Amino acid sequence: MLTLEGVQVNFGGVQALKSASFSVAEGESIGLVGPNGAGKTTLFNVISGVVRPTAGRLDFRGTSLLKLPEWKRARLGIGRSFQIPRPFGHCTVRENLLVAQRFGAGKKDPRRIDEILDILNLRDKADRDATTELALTEHKALEVGKALATEPSLLLLDEVLAGLETSSKRAFMERLAAVRDRYRLAMVIIEHDIATIAALCPRVLVLNFGQIIADGSPDAVFRDPDVIRSYTGETTLAEAS
Amino acid sequence: MNRILLIAALVAAYVGVPLLFGGNAYVLGLIVAALTIAGVAVAWALLGNLGGMVSFGHAAFFGVGSYTSAVLAMKLGVPVFAAMLLGGVGAAVSSIAMLPALRLRGPYFALAILAYAHIFQILATEMTPVTGGAGGLLSIPRFPKVLGLDFGEKLGGYLIVLTIVVLAALAYDAIRRSTWGLALKAMHDTEVATRVVGVPSTHLKAAMLVLSAFITGLVGAFNAHFISFLDPDYAFSSGWTVLPIAAAIFGGYRTVWGPVVGALSIYLVDQLLFKPILPHGHQMILGVLLCAMILFSPGGLMPALRRRPVKENRHAHA
Repeated sequence: MLTLEGVQVNFGGVQALKSASFSVAEGESIGLVGPNGAGKTTLFNVISGVVRPTAGRLDFRGTSLLKLPEWKRARLGIGRSFQIPRPFGHCTVRENLLVAQRFGAGKKDPRRIDEILDILNLRDKADRDATTELALTEHKALEVGKALATEPSLLLLDEVLAGLETSSKRAFMERLAAVRDRYRLAMVIIEHDIATIAALCPRVLVLNFGQIIADGSPDAVFRDPDVIRSYTGETTLAEAS
Repeated sequence: MNRILLIAALVAAYVGVPLLFGGNAYVLGLIVAALTIAGVAVAWALLGNLGGMVSFGHAAFFGVGSYTSAVLAMKLGVPVFAAMLLGGVGAAVSSIAMLPALRLRGPYFALAILAYAHIFQILATEMTPVTGGAGGLLSIPRFPKVLGLDFGEKLGGYLIVLTIVVLAALAYDAIRRSTWGLALKAMHDTEVATRVVGVPSTHLKAAMLVLSAFITGLVGAFNAHFISFLDPDYAFSSGWTVLPIAAAIFGGYRTVWGPVVGALSIYLVDQLLFKPILPHGHQMILGVLLCAMILFSPGGLMPALRRRPVKENRHAHA
């Protein structure tokens, strides 16, 4: 459904992504890992339209995304969360989802909103102020909820489990799996916790210094010497280039 | 605003004011002037509160609306009511030139729109064959008599501007309550987060700018036919930006009716109370009042009035 070919992003003199190429099939779950600064969030920004690539091809279900703004990509079926939750100010949790559903999915379906609230365990917080009255786990859940309300076919989740304690993380993982199975979504998940990735995703991509250095099953990828070296810091900038 | 209170206020405005002040041209003229400011204040608050944009350039829309309507009526013989509507359309079209400024945020947008406003004033001054240049336009056609009511007189003018202000406030309220309003509210803190869920944020902001310009232009067009005279310094005066902003802030720009209440309060109190006491410099008292309002009730008069019953209840329980 999603194909990236030779995607490059330069921020001035810094090459954040260099020739990233991979594809995502319908219903596939992929873990995207890599050290800090590897370009993971930049990759999500490119797919969702927040950042325009300097070069490369980007197709979603046969449509080139390159000239489409973020809101058109959302309407095509690409949903995303942000690493730092960005709830809509002065809006309740339900209103956050309503905005996403009305504009992203182009409809008003209160039953679907209730379903999302139930799956993400947010039903009793539905009428709370999304900015000031939620705990971290709930903010993370709302990020996923907003993306789900747009009725995506591809969900990009940027460290939605980061900062959560072990028990919350486990519960959240179960919810993510339920979401994926309920809506038959393709998902790409950025996550540092290797066990979490291995449990949720049969395929893992490793990004380092803006390029994909490994692509395969969690077992194979996490035994790959290049991946181990990138995590232990033995890959230098000179090597990577 | 409570629905019953709103209906009572509308009955008072459409029936009570004409009965009480219909024969007092001076007071009615002041009320018309206050409502003219109120119309611009509602348009300004709509852009600020819903679109999240602070404009220092609404005088441009006011001036463009005035000139469009006056020129259409004088040079092309367009009926005055139709010309007034087209004045609003003219201002809305002029706002399209300001769309590139939507990329800017905060003070940068405010300054850009101020610069745009100045461009239109220069155009009105230089396009002498059409606008009359610095000398302006004299004897602009007044509103006609319809069904025995002379809309060219003070009472007719009052009913026209009142209707414009009421319709503008109702439109503002309808948008605020809609999913568009919700999306606009959501955009204030995090525009990119709304775009990735499908909100065409720039389009929505542009729509608010165009609507705000239309309302302001309509009020400007009304004013041109009501006073029957225009020149660039008057039509594009910074007063058409500053007074509505002061009114909206005084009344409560985050409420729908706050700008209307603010405009009526500050203008009428200033003209009827402060001006006779201090003919020169009476605006100073207004400035002090505005500062006091910002200090003690930053939300403005309407939120302060709403808070009062809560306090009384608290005392009652104590």
